[in-house]
Amino acid sequence: MQSADQHLRARLADEFPAGAHAWPPDLSRRHFLELMGASLALAGVAGCYRPPREDIVPYGDTPEALVPGNPLTYATAMPWHGFARGILVRAHEGRPIKIEGNPAHPDSLGATDAITQAAVLGLYDPDRSTTPVHQRVPVSWADFDAAWRNQRARFDTLGGDGFALLTEPTTSPTQLRLVHALLDHWPHARWYQAPTLLAHEVEADLSRADVILAIDDDILVQHPGSLRHARHFAARRRESPNRLYVAEPSPTVTGSMADRRLPATPAECRALLETIASQLEHETPSGGGFVAQVTRDLREAGPRGRCFVGAHLGPQAQKLADRINRLIGVTPPPTHRHPRSDNDPRATGDLTTLAADIDNQRVHTLVVLDRNIVYTEAGGRTWPDRIGRLASSIHLGAYHDETGQACQWHLPTSHFLESWNDLRSSDGTATIAQPASTPRLNTRAPLTLLDQLARGSGRSDYALVRETWDAPPDDWSEWLRRGTVPRAQDNVRPPAPPSLRRGAPPAPPLAGDALVAVFRPDRYLDDGRWANNGWLQELPDPFSRLAWGNAAWISSALARKHGLNAGDHVVLTCEDRTLEIPVWIQPGQAGSAVTLHFGYGRRAGGHIAQGVGVNVFPFQPPSGATECVIHDLRSTGRHTDLISTQGHFDMAQRDLVRVVPAAEADHPPTDALSPQERSTLFPAAFPEGEYAWAMAIDLRSCMGCQACVIACQAENNIPVVGAAQVARGREMHWIRIDRYYTGDETSPLMLHQPVPCMHCENAPCELVCPVGATVHSSEGLNDMVYNRCIGTRYCSNNCPYKVRRFNFLNFRVDDDSPLNERHNPRVTVRERGVMEKCTYCVQRINAARIVARREDRRIRENELRTACQQVCPTEAIVFGDKNDPASAVSRRRAHPLNYALLTELNTQPRTTYLARVTNRAPEDAPA
Amino acid sequence: MTTGKDAPTEPLLGAGVTPQTLTQEVSAMPGAFGRRRGWLFGFGIAFVLLMVLFGSVAWLFTRGIGVWGLNMPVAWGFAITNFVWWIGIGHAGTFISAVLLLLHQSWRTSINRFAEAMTLFAVACAGLFPLLHLGRPQFFYWLLPYPDTMGLWPQFRSPLVWDMFAVGTYATVSLLFWYLGLVPDLATMRDRAVTLGKRRLYGLMALGWRGDLRHWHHHERLYLIMAALATPLVVSVHSIVGMDFAVANLPGWHSTIFPPYFVAGAVFSGFAMVLTLVIPVRAACGLHHLITARHLDLMAKVMLATGWMVTYGYFTEFFTAWQSGDEFERYVAINRLTGPYALAGWGMLTCNVIVPQLVWFRRVRASPVALFAVSILVNLGMWLERYVIVITSLHRDFLPSSWGLFQATFWDWSTLLGSFGLFLSLLFVFLRLLPAISMAEMRNFVVKAETAAAKTKGHDE
Repeated sequence: MQSADQHLRARLADEFPAGAHAWPPDLSRRHFLELMGASLALAGVAGCYRPPREDIVPYGDTPEALVPGNPLTYATAMPWHGFARGILVRAHEGRPIKIEGNPAHPDSLGATDAITQAAVLGLYDPDRSTTPVHQRVPVSWADFDAAWRNQRARFDTLGGDGFALLTEPTTSPTQLRLVHALLDHWPHARWYQAPTLLAHEVEADLSRADVILAIDDDILVQHPGSLRHARHFAARRRESPNRLYVAEPSPTVTGSMADRRLPATPAECRALLETIASQLEHETPSGGGFVAQVTRDLREAGPRGRCFVGAHLGPQAQKLADRINRLIGVTPPPTHRHPRSDNDPRATGDLTTLAADIDNQRVHTLVVLDRNIVYTEAGGRTWPDRIGRLASSIHLGAYHDETGQACQWHLPTSHFLESWNDLRSSDGTATIAQPASTPRLNTRAPLTLLDQLARGSGRSDYALVRETWDAPPDDWSEWLRRGTVPRAQDNVRPPAPPSLRRGAPPAPPLAGDALVAVFRPDRYLDDGRWANNGWLQELPDPFSRLAWGNAAWISSALARKHGLNAGDHVVLTCEDRTLEIPVWIQPGQAGSAVTLHFGYGRRAGGHIAQGVGVNVFPFQPPSGATECVIHDLRSTGRHTDLISTQGHFDMAQRDLVRVVPAAEADHPPTDALSPQERSTLFPAAFPEGEYAWAMAIDLRSCMGCQACVIACQAENNIPVVGAAQVARGREMHWIRIDRYYTGDETSPLMLHQPVPCMHCENAPCELVCPVGATVHSSEGLNDMVYNRCIGTRYCSNNCPYKVRRFNFLNFRVDDDSPLNERHNPRVTVRERGVMEKCTYCVQRINAARIVARREDRRIRENELRTACQQVCPTEAIVFGDKNDPASAVSRRRAHPLNYALLTELNTQPRTTYLARVTNRAPEDAPA
Repeated sequence: MTTGKDAPTEPLLGAGVTPQTLTQEVSAMPGAFGRRRGWLFGFGIAFVLLMVLFGSVAWLFTRGIGVWGLNMPVAWGFAITNFVWWIGIGHAGTFISAVLLLLHQSWRTSINRFAEAMTLFAVACAGLFPLLHLGRPQFFYWLLPYPDTMGLWPQFRSPLVWDMFAVGTYATVSLLFWYLGLVPDLATMRDRAVTLGKRRLYGLMALGWRGDLRHWHHHERLYLIMAALATPLVVSVHSIVGMDFAVANLPGWHSTIFPPYFVAGAVFSGFAMVLTLVIPVRAACGLHHLITARHLDLMAKVMLATGWMVTYGYFTEFFTAWQSGDEFERYVAINRLTGPYALAGWGMLTCNVIVPQLVWFRRVRASPVALFAVSILVNLGMWLERYVIVITSLHRDFLPSSWGLFQATFWDWSTLLGSFGLFLSLLFVFLRLLPAISMAEMRNFVVKAETAAAKTKGHDE
């Protein structure tokens, strides 16, 4: 007891600074009173604001353009598989809170995807590393600097022998320059590049393509230029229907937009390519089969056709695609112009070579730049051991993840919104990525750390980027302002374009009924790099609607064969590797393909990422192939209740998503109860205001990517509720994308329907609220008065669209969490027990109104966009004033395809839909 | 008078009951309960359950409404089910004391006090749930039209506001009516009390009643007026509770049959509850000569009649769903019997339609045990009815994408169980403190019965 007591005293003494002891023994009563009096008198002084020692500038002399309360927007770029996603960052009082697409950026055109939207959350992630770690003990940067000085001196004498740097392939000129400088400095040093899971690299212009054949290639999402593709594809489709053929193992966003889709295993995809290529060359096929139709349509379209193939199908498939494109006269055939450093001649190799070099003791010091090689290791767990054998290992990254824990040193890097960088888009356009905030934590920019490796002390990231881009200050500011470097002024040589295509070697031919496992990055977590992002974890998959976890997707035929239900565990066996995972029965899944998604089952890297789902990397073939034969699939009898946000995918013969064949698109069957034509004897429900806000969602264009869901979450401070609450059906998304499958179960038509609040003119929710907490504005908004809400939830019961969301528990982040700083200051953070829902971004309406009133004019079209509209890559969502007949929303409402959801209830929604149009080739219409 | 010639063999009064013995016996009951082990045991259980309620509410207020199984399609669950059920229970009391009084059904006399007490306690339980189920219960008073500095009023188009008024009025009138009937009996208790404390307590509550003729005159008048006031409430309260659902446009709720169907259901369940409570109390306290087999028989018949009204309500619901041709209504109707909550749906039909038919048999009506079993099943069936209406309508409405399931949590059940604790605790306290049978009215009834008997005798001779 005695020692324990002493131990406690010692700890107390450690914890509190000197002088803070509770009652020093020599303190007299008189002295105590003196001290207390002094403390009271000085407490006021100490509590006052005291400026730091350095020279700071008072806010009276505001930075240019900054008006307190008004946000500032910065153009910059987010790294996405090494490419630039051009973005605009909105910062309130120095806090970046929302990312938008940069309209001037060729790979954004003003749109973003869900991951880019969510990236801002990472800046405030409480799990980010805050300090260097050495052998799992937090240390200071000075400790690392001193340790590295010693090592560096040794490498200087050795010429870098034994030193290895591992990076992701990049387009950043500065990063490449620094790597090259390091290799120049130490001629014997080695540089390895670990490729990402991005498997689609073909450059494409979809704005003029009439017939598109995409074989296992998600060109609308999994591509550095996907936002541009989606924009062009949808615009072209609205103009006059194009035709998209897709063959793929399991549904993708691109596949869901197909006019004809064929579920096919990778082997079948390759066979399909062969057949199409040979048929194009030789014969004119007849009949209504997939191949026959594709061949006929491609031949007819000629140069206005295009064939795309996923790179993971292998070089042979790529050659076949090139052949098909040549055969139909697409000239020149699509080339790889991507300016990424995959094939940089100075790189020693990839992960395989690195592993071999470590095993052969050619490498004894490894620096890993933000690659989680331990977690993403295919088919085994050799890296922790291998790293452990190294004399020295250094991990640079934002999280103390699996690799960071395996390495001796973990050095925290700054978020991309806190550091300078430069990146290129898929077409080569450069962007100077400027920070929107000073580093919030004790981190260093990745470029600074790279510089430090060879030079001993790293220069600032700004200086490094500025040095790369030798430009007059005026040009420099203009580049920063616009977010792009004009081609004419871009005199930095991009890396040599890759000449060889990557990809797995083709799998050996399979027996007829052999099962094949298909490995895919998760749509939102990718290879797990976004796994600690609550927004992305809670964002349900567009097709399975699974959130907070993954499952093996199987077809219903396979499920029947093995007697499996969704959530039943199976054990998959391939050679000596096994994997236990719950199954999900996915409509549109190829019969003998089992799709496994990466990114889950993390063991470290943040409390959100850890323990969610199953890690399928260990089941991947060690070669890194994205497919493998499953020798055995057996049920274990165990079961997990998978967390899905939608339990029913059948429309139950209800008129919810209208589908119109392209032939009838100009004069679709009229809606007898069209809301515009209804007359009533009842007085108007509310006085008409100056504007009449309305939204029109074009189901021809919506591809279900769900960027709008995250955009809405970011804009409107929507909480993350966690797996348990989502399982209970309490997710809070204000806009959701409903998924319905119609037609054949094996290859159904996949329908996406974004459902925000309908802002009914005759709103059922308003009628039943006992306290008037939801009321109508004169401009047609169904407003929610949070402060008045007492939480009867009657409004939700009476909402036919079920778009209302309730704070069943306290879903707010903790008061001391840095995540509070991410909140949009213009939107109330809701408390426990109140209802909330889509407001049509009323804060944006009012911000635009303030500007318009000051200038004594009406709010202009395009001056005001809702968060979901702004982010949409396909411009499926249009918002505006329906009183203005020239507005886009008025034009859409007058379109023959326009219809209101559940119009027979006479809710008169302000949100309307344009029917989905399918453009199947006429031959396969039932005779 | 049903005690006239056409009355069957069974009398409404046991043999040898005189006004004196009656007063003696009934006024001694509260005091006697204090010495009964059974009372202590019963109150002990009720008190434990009451503590369960307090615990559940404490946890609810600490964590929020999410401790229950509610979610986004099913935003109402046990709380509303329990509310409608409890308020329905109360209806029999008002029906017995007011409606039957106005209809001169003198057989009500021996059970009305008990039934009214049941009403009050049931309304207390019912009134609890709408407050507990609020997301922000601290602001419940925003439903009231009070002068607010912001000039805010309740939103009078909402049935929840009507509900608040209806239940508030009902609770107030029921309390006054019950108390008014108690005043002469309280005076009796005061006069027979042996300790000063009891004399003071009962004396205070008796409001200076001296048995003066003018007192009796005013009392009888006022009692009739109160009965006339309470009668429409029997109809209005549950009609308005029915409108909580009928005003919504939700398939399965949006139905004009709801107000009368809810009233019938309320009286049905209320009589079942009176039977459930009276049968054990009658047996435990040996009140067979005051609450006779004929009382049970009559109550069972009312239950059977209202049971048929409820059955008609079910039929109308299904028929309307089919006849409307509305796909959503049809789906809800089918889903109630075949969907995930089919067990509740069939349970409701079995308990409320099939089980009451047993009451057609005289042997069942004559057997307190059988009646008790039937009444328990009817109570269960009526709870299931509300559960079915609330849950199955909500869980699958218009958009299949938003369909979901409700799963009750531990706290859902504990709150329901706890509300029985509140009800039973109040009931046991009532039995311990107040005369459970209206002595004043019963004396009147006994005298009348004696006179009538004497007359009949004279005629016969």
